[in-house]
Amino acid sequence: MSPMIAVIPVLALLAGAPTLDQAPGHFYNIDTEIRVEATVREIVLEPRYKGTAPFLVLRVEESGGARTFDVEIAPSWFFGQDVHGGEKVQIVGSLAETPGKTPTIIARELRYRGETFQLRDKRGFPNWQGGPKGKRGIRRFGRT
Amino acid sequence: MIKEMRRLIPLLALAALPAWGSTVYFSFNQHATENLFQTRDAVSDRVSSFSLAIDQDLSALSLLARAEYSAFHETTGLSFFAADIGLDYILAAGRKSALYLAAGGAGQFYQQAFGPFSSLGAHLLGAFKTYLAPSSILKFQWQGTYAAYKDSLFDFLSQTASLSIDKYFPSRTTLKADAEYGYKYFLHPFLPDPLEGTSAAPMLMSGGGSGGQGLQGGGTGGSGSGGGWGGQRYQGGSGFIPRYDSAGGGAGIGHVSVSLLAAQGLGDAVGLSASAVRQWIVSGESPFLSIEEFYLVQNPSADSFSWDGHQLNGRLTFSLPWDISLKGGYTFSDKTYPGVESLGPDGLPLGIIRNDRRNLIEARLQKDFRRLSLFVAYSYVDNASTDPLFDWSSHYLMGGFEWNLPTGRKGGV
Repeated sequence: MSPMIAVIPVLALLAGAPTLDQAPGHFYNIDTEIRVEATVREIVLEPRYKGTAPFLVLRVEESGGARTFDVEIAPSWFFGQDVHGGEKVQIVGSLAETPGKTPTIIARELRYRGETFQLRDKRGFPNWQGGPKGKRGIRRFGRT
Repeated sequence: MIKEMRRLIPLLALAALPAWGSTVYFSFNQHATENLFQTRDAVSDRVSSFSLAIDQDLSALSLLARAEYSAFHETTGLSFFAADIGLDYILAAGRKSALYLAAGGAGQFYQQAFGPFSSLGAHLLGAFKTYLAPSSILKFQWQGTYAAYKDSLFDFLSQTASLSIDKYFPSRTTLKADAEYGYKYFLHPFLPDPLEGTSAAPMLMSGGGSGGQGLQGGGTGGSGSGGGWGGQRYQGGSGFIPRYDSAGGGAGIGHVSVSLLAAQGLGDAVGLSASAVRQWIVSGESPFLSIEEFYLVQNPSADSFSWDGHQLNGRLTFSLPWDISLKGGYTFSDKTYPGVESLGPDGLPLGIIRNDRRNLIEARLQKDFRRLSLFVAYSYVDNASTDPLFDWSSHYLMGGFEWNLPTGRKGGV
């Protein structure tokens, strides 16, 4: 069998795979999008959605100390990027507020160290998954 | 192969379209190089690369499939199809730590004279990352790889293990230290001694070999009238030459390396970093007499396991308005290749191990749209070598786009 043809069943398998559940009431809302300059205070890895890998969540403090937020980044970023406590970041994302809880920003764009990372597109579709440029995790890390 | 690709692309597209809930990526890159084979005898070419990838998350498991075709406009025999599949898994180990596991398979398929480069391989990867403190990260990573080539000279097993620790300071400075051990074992890299009457591998008789333009003419001996490996080495060939050893067997090469990196944020939009790597070969040497490296082609005779020396890098990144980013970098490397001879214009050993001193300048400008990224990139390499064939310099220009299409979900996860 041609090796090229052998790829097709794999793609078909992916095509037939079940989709992820959408967490009810917690999705990217363009109407609540905000831009925040903040300092990272804590980095945690915790489950956020049913049926997904645990998320990298940044606990940040807005510049001037006005407000604190939990910022949802992405599941794979825990390995793909090294964000540190104390780093200054700029976040664009959708604000979700639940009474009695720390407000959450679902991050669409993260800028730090002079680089801008597009985590979602402007309608909130995730942009962090794999792809040929190695956005996913560390699969393509290494030097030559 | 081009005809096969024409049939394959619609099939891939059809398979990708219903991949509901996944992300589909399509990219196109156009390259132009003045020196495809990266030798003194420059050969220019243009390369068009198409890639289609699908990524699907299933709970903590992620599946990836990718297919790529690269068409070389002048040296058409180097056109290749590549595919890889993989899955990875992230397991939280508390709130500050995680384990990452990945497994995958990959294949690259060449045609005509470059058929010996065709390979199938598999890899396993495990990594552990933990925050020692909010401003300090410890990482351990291990990777094992196996690859089998159409020409079994290149078959190998390899593994690398690395440990890194970093620390971020309030001055926006990040310091990182990394230590690595790597070992690559070529399973059977030697040709049988031609004087013992054993014929060389059939593909060596075809006049093809792996080498750039080494398609005709006399070989290095032992393969009759075929060109074979290095047959035209000093008349425009690529430079790869294996060794003869009637005892056969394998050969391993091991290294340790340490690297240091300092990164500094300058305001919110500018990043600066500098890094240094020192690598020592601690066991074995390259089993090949002369090695080569092609632009854009994964070459089995030279890689990160081959060299002893150091490398210095500086990098500047700008995050500009309108989702534009600009990156620039400079790299200097001084690499010695234990076991690899420097050869004179007549093909005879000069008595010194090959050493390359390389200057690399890179720049990349990228503009991101909602689902589309456009980029142009430029690089310049000046390589000074103790082997005259590898004294070369070249400009490279590339541009392209990547288009990603998330399917199914309404702006959530």
